[in-house]
Amino acid sequence: MRTSTPHAQHRFDAIGAPWRIDTPEPLPPEVVAAIAERIESFDRTYSRFRTDSLVSRINREPGVWEFPPDAPPLFALYRSLYEATGGAVSPLVGARLENLGYDRSYSLTPNPESVRVPSWDNAVAWDGERLTTVRPVLLDVGAAGKGYLVDLVAAILTEAGVDEYVVDASGDLVHRGSSPLRVALEHPRDPTKAIGVYTLSNAALCASASNRRAWGSGLHHVLDALTGEPTTRVIATWAVVPAAGGPGPAASATLPTTTLPTTTQPTMHAGTLPTQHRSALHTMHADGLATGLFFRGAAAFDFDFQYVRMLADGSVEYSRDIQGEMFT
Amino acid sequence: MPISLRTRYTFGALAGLSLIGSLAGCAADDSTASTDTGSGADDSSSSSAPAESSTGSDTSTDAGTDSGSDDGTDTEAGSYADGTYSAEGEYTSPGGSESISVELTLEGDTVTAVTVTPNATSGNSVRYQSDFAEGIADVVVGENIDDLDVDRVAGSSLTSGGFNEAVETIKAEAAA
Repeated sequence: MRTSTPHAQHRFDAIGAPWRIDTPEPLPPEVVAAIAERIESFDRTYSRFRTDSLVSRINREPGVWEFPPDAPPLFALYRSLYEATGGAVSPLVGARLENLGYDRSYSLTPNPESVRVPSWDNAVAWDGERLTTVRPVLLDVGAAGKGYLVDLVAAILTEAGVDEYVVDASGDLVHRGSSPLRVALEHPRDPTKAIGVYTLSNAALCASASNRRAWGSGLHHVLDALTGEPTTRVIATWAVVPAAGGPGPAASATLPTTTLPTTTQPTMHAGTLPTQHRSALHTMHADGLATGLFFRGAAAFDFDFQYVRMLADGSVEYSRDIQGEMFT
Repeated sequence: MPISLRTRYTFGALAGLSLIGSLAGCAADDSTASTDTGSGADDSSSSSAPAESSTGSDTSTDAGTDSGSDDGTDTEAGSYADGTYSAEGEYTSPGGSESISVELTLEGDTVTAVTVTPNATSGNSVRYQSDFAEGIADVVVGENIDDLDVDRVAGSSLTSGGFNEAVETIKAEAAA
């Protein structure tokens, strides 16, 4: 490991994964506190692992549910991923994940009576602010939620005047600053090996693979919502989305930490990812695209990004403009 | 690594298409003739190599005139001229007959780029082909992370605490 730049580290566990924030100087206590508070607030809304979350309430009864101001970009991204993948990526897989054993108590024991993943338009309606449900549904924002939270945490750093950082939430990371980060792409079948090295500079890189959140034969957390089964054709993906405008205070200045436009349309042109938050929310987009790549090739997503994905036969596909090297 | 192996992996990604045969006409080595299972009769019309000249334009031109001759009399074994090759292939899908254009770039006996252009008309074929049309396909070899000069490793999310313990518990119960 290189230790080129002296830096401070802030490590903690959140939403079921280890986090690490690297900055040139130690973070002031008030910034650390603001980060913890932001994560707690996000978790209180979206976690399906705690009974007091909004998501858990929505799983108990139908209704019209007010979401906090951070929800529209996440729902908009989910809708476009849903359409681009023909329904394979869906926030409605929560009940099926529980059904397969990935539940609050980590029973990790599939229920022999399987449940279907409902289709979006049959189960819920999102109007840009409120979610209307006609039956109890268990949302799971695992496809993009952690990447989104990385963006929200990075925005706190930016607001605090920190202009060089790496926020790494294990698998989802964002880099900002002048010295690029060399990131090994871990081999999904051998964590001691890498299949390539990516040079990350003022961009978000999100990785997804079916090897760790896995529990038993063929059971892992990346579900095809159409079949309700864990995916098999693709075993690992990486997506990179640059920060629009590169380094500089403008890059994250429009993050929706306080107010958001409420004009997000509930439906979009199929396959087109929302552009209005593209500049600031690049980790969320990278996270969502990494999930989408399990179901469709990169060309299915009308979005400017770089990618690598490994198929079950061990072959890889990657974009031509990749900034790094692949060990071919 | 012989080209036939790499191209096999390449097209393995394409939902079981079998169109390698039409590419074999581009190769001057006998070792790839075994992959020439398909549209051999189409080679003269469908193989046009090189499609565009690479930096080594002279050798590419030579390869072009050699294409279609599988007798392997005119080149040393195991070596292919650098350049960009193109071919067309046909296959039958549940939706009917489909065709596909493939362009691949060779540098030093290695496939450095593959472009697949769909001519598909049916739903699934359009999807599988167009999804893949812009990228590079290859086979990777893992290298030891400890030997690399890197700052981070990016794979699937590490899991903290409970999940790992639960998996270990399940394994222990299963083994008991």
